[in-house]
Amino acid sequence: MSSATSTKSAEDSGLQTWQFFLLAALGCATAVTFLARGQGIVSIILLGILMITTAAVGIAVLRMVRPLVSSEEDRTVMIGHRTRAALEREKHLTLRAIKELEFDRAMGKLAEADFQEMSTRLRMRAAGLLRQLDAGSGYRDQIERDLAARLKGSRYDSGSAGSHNEMQTDTGSARLSAERIAGEREASAERLCANCSTVNDADATFCKSCGVKL
Amino acid sequence: MASLGSFLLLATFVVCSYSAAVSVAGARRRSRPLIESGVGAFYLTAALMTVASAVMINAFLTNDYSIKYVAHYSDSVQPLFYKITSYWGGLDGSIMFWVFLLSIFGTLAVYVNRERHRELIPYVVATIAVVQMFFLYLMVVHKNPFTTFLTTVPADGNGLNPLLQNYWMAIHPPSLYTGFVGMTIPFAFCIAALVTGHLDDSWLRAVRRWTMFAWLFLTFGLTLGMIWAYEVLGWGGYWGWDPVENAGLLPWFTATAFLHSVMVQERRSMLRVWNVILVITTFFLTIFGTFMTRSGVVQSVHAFGDDPMLARLFTIFMVAILTFSFGLVIYRLPLLKARNELDSWVSREAAFLVNNWVLLFAALFVLFGTMFPTLSEAIMGQRLTVAAPFFNKWLIPIGLILLFLTGVGPLLAWRKSTVRNLLEQFLWPGVATATTLAATTALGIPVWAPGLCFALCALVTATIVQEFLRGGNVRRRNTGTDLFTAIIGLVGRNKRRYGGYIVHLGIVLIFLGFAGSGSKKEQLFRLKLHDQATIGAFTLRNDGVKVSDDGQKQMATAYISVSQNGKPIESMYPGRSVFRKHEDEEARTDVAIRRSLAQDLYLVLAPDVDFGTQTITLQAFVNPLVDWIWLGFGVLAFGTGIALLPERAYSFALAKLPAEAATTAVVLLAGLLLSGVSLKAQQHQVDPNVAVTPSKNALEEQLRGEMGCVCGTCAHEALTKCTCGTAQQMRSQLRAQIDQGKGHDEIIQAFIGIYGGQQFLQAPIDKGFNRVAWLFPYVLGATGVFAIGFAAIKWSHHSAAAPPETSATLDDPALEERLNDELRDLD
Repeated sequence: MSSATSTKSAEDSGLQTWQFFLLAALGCATAVTFLARGQGIVSIILLGILMITTAAVGIAVLRMVRPLVSSEEDRTVMIGHRTRAALEREKHLTLRAIKELEFDRAMGKLAEADFQEMSTRLRMRAAGLLRQLDAGSGYRDQIERDLAARLKGSRYDSGSAGSHNEMQTDTGSARLSAERIAGEREASAERLCANCSTVNDADATFCKSCGVKL
Repeated sequence: MASLGSFLLLATFVVCSYSAAVSVAGARRRSRPLIESGVGAFYLTAALMTVASAVMINAFLTNDYSIKYVAHYSDSVQPLFYKITSYWGGLDGSIMFWVFLLSIFGTLAVYVNRERHRELIPYVVATIAVVQMFFLYLMVVHKNPFTTFLTTVPADGNGLNPLLQNYWMAIHPPSLYTGFVGMTIPFAFCIAALVTGHLDDSWLRAVRRWTMFAWLFLTFGLTLGMIWAYEVLGWGGYWGWDPVENAGLLPWFTATAFLHSVMVQERRSMLRVWNVILVITTFFLTIFGTFMTRSGVVQSVHAFGDDPMLARLFTIFMVAILTFSFGLVIYRLPLLKARNELDSWVSREAAFLVNNWVLLFAALFVLFGTMFPTLSEAIMGQRLTVAAPFFNKWLIPIGLILLFLTGVGPLLAWRKSTVRNLLEQFLWPGVATATTLAATTALGIPVWAPGLCFALCALVTATIVQEFLRGGNVRRRNTGTDLFTAIIGLVGRNKRRYGGYIVHLGIVLIFLGFAGSGSKKEQLFRLKLHDQATIGAFTLRNDGVKVSDDGQKQMATAYISVSQNGKPIESMYPGRSVFRKHEDEEARTDVAIRRSLAQDLYLVLAPDVDFGTQTITLQAFVNPLVDWIWLGFGVLAFGTGIALLPERAYSFALAKLPAEAATTAVVLLAGLLLSGVSLKAQQHQVDPNVAVTPSKNALEEQLRGEMGCVCGTCAHEALTKCTCGTAQQMRSQLRAQIDQGKGHDEIIQAFIGIYGGQQFLQAPIDKGFNRVAWLFPYVLGATGVFAIGFAAIKWSHHSAAAPPETSATLDDPALEERLNDELRDLD
């Protein structure tokens, strides 16, 4: 893979500043152990701890000051206004909740009608989250999947139409996919917030993420 | 060293204020660099507090007596372990320890949640930083632990009170502080959710484990306190409703209520406002408890003493917390409306609602009882006491109701239970309850309250066993394994639920222990050499008393031969010790305890030992079932541990686990808890020449029970028990009144005349302001019932435009397929 697509910055491959602090702390702790030998184990341990805590203070000061002076870009993956991690977690918890509902029904703690209603709502939410996560991973994956499906179909329909046509088909597929995604979004507009793309419950009045009226 | 310490505290205060300001600014301006800098400053706070703690401990270990705090709580011969634990031994150090713990927990909470709850983090940081700032401010301006002597530095310190040099004593405060401080984290997330408006369940999920973790340590701290009171204080009991004990109990009630009501919000999106209020109240109560202990508003053997300036500062902080938090709640009320209604009173939601009400009632009641002396002094000018009988009278029925709900709650269905449902679920637990009640009645155990308690314990146990078996069968059908593996997998896949059931089992055992105290026996014997006495099934013989000396202390030890049902079993050695360096203080009571699951034999040697004739006064107790309390805590801790495990900690759901693992853990925990050390006594000025002579008649015995000692150093002990000079004087006065032929009320009035108030009474007379004490629980209970009824009626009105559910399947079959795949992968 060329460095153009690599996300690791040049800085990462060298010595990082926090590593410097750690090494310095270990070095000082070792030096202090030699200097303080004969003064009792308690003294040595205390001085060692002091070195480590001073290093911790150094790292923390760095952590406090660096964001203000460096122009490092925020590399956290965001989908809408939420981080990918948050969406993944919510999806996981929603799936867990569905499984708990199923268990409650099996144990006789939930009537069938109630189960259907609650489970459907949760499944809708989980599906919405899946869609958001798919969309957030860029159109690339979605397009590749669509392409794979269409190419499989078109291989039986017609022979190869040449690279130019293929490219057109590719672009056409991409456009179609994009349109379909947009269409899906429109279709479920009452659940997706227009402002931040968060999936809300069917009966929600305000978006739970940004507070905008749905 | 001291100046470094002071500088560090000041620096931490500055860094905290920067952290709070920059986090809020960054959140408002959506500036990532500012927010990250704020988080960095927050981590820096933790690092600085670690250094400050290291400096303090270093001062203790290097015997730096120029620091007043070190000189007060340490000396050169103090063992290493107690030098370290002296860090939190005094008020100043304990505040610093609080900030240290809060900074560590805060750092952990922020680090773990930095990606998942990004929008909340700036305000979480700001909230925790503000709380830290308050405590740091307290230290910087008022109670600096690094204050030095101005002129002469003492050559040696005073040393930690030897009665505090005890293993249990060392871990009891850190455990309690972990519990208290841990409750700040849920509060911070709650405030962040309120400020940002992100009031869906995400903030709840962030704090659930923290609340459980803090709750576990709060329970542990309270249990340690109970063990210690039982083994060391020598009054045969484990909970005296002392104000400081109550201060630890109050947040426990509200935290327990929160841990339950959070389930209702997650499942049914109800009780959203209530959960927010509970979290704020729990945090407030932790601060209030700290305030009570440190300001001198309540009298207690535990309290740090009088400090009006501290009281003022705490009051300002508490008012600020309440104003700001509840202001935010009111502001966000529209976003907090419930999404669903209460469909039926016979539902799990309703059970949780009642559970919450009962716990809150208990908390408010204990709070009221604890503050009653202060309130009565403020309003009427005289301090009235509310002692153990008052609390016990009300909290026994409360405890039984809670036990009942613990059994019934898991059996009820969500939304509504049908009759068939109820029959199916309640059959076997109902049979178990009825059988136990019949058996206990047949054995002569009174229905109120021990019999009922046993029956309800049977109900809860039967419910839990049924849940495990039925759940195991469901899983067995789904996975095709044997029942035992299915149950292990069941617990692994539903850690929270089944961990919770194990916790309930622990509660059952604890209640069993409480039930035993109903048939407690207590007697005072004056025994000459070779004299025998009987208590319960035990016969005690005085085989003499010997004095010994080990250089550090002088000990008087009685040799008591014990027989049970005529058969000799063992010798027990209750004693008293006087420490060389602390002769002017109270002699330490060395209680002798013979433990068994059925009952404890508990012997205390009273101070009036006649070495010449080898005559002793022996206080003997038989405490049935008390060891089940300690065992119950072990089970509770195990259950909480399971519930706290991370999601993926049980990926090998189909693997078999040796059954011994669980048993070993419980036995180890129980063993750890039961191996108590018999040290420590109260700071009570006991007169060695005092003996509690038997009462002349029934009236005197009754009055002795109703009156408590006013010496101020005992826990307001009844005159039947207290052996200090003041109590002896009161008993003489009482005898004089009785000899004059006065009646009950006349004698009370005479004492009011002597003491200028009712403070000697164990419970206030039912008149005037005192009537408030009696009336309050009824009023509170009635208010609670009305409030719940009102809420229930409001919620039961079905909304006219309930949104119709869309089709049961998703539009996209591929997506449906993926969803099913992911669901399958979860198991």
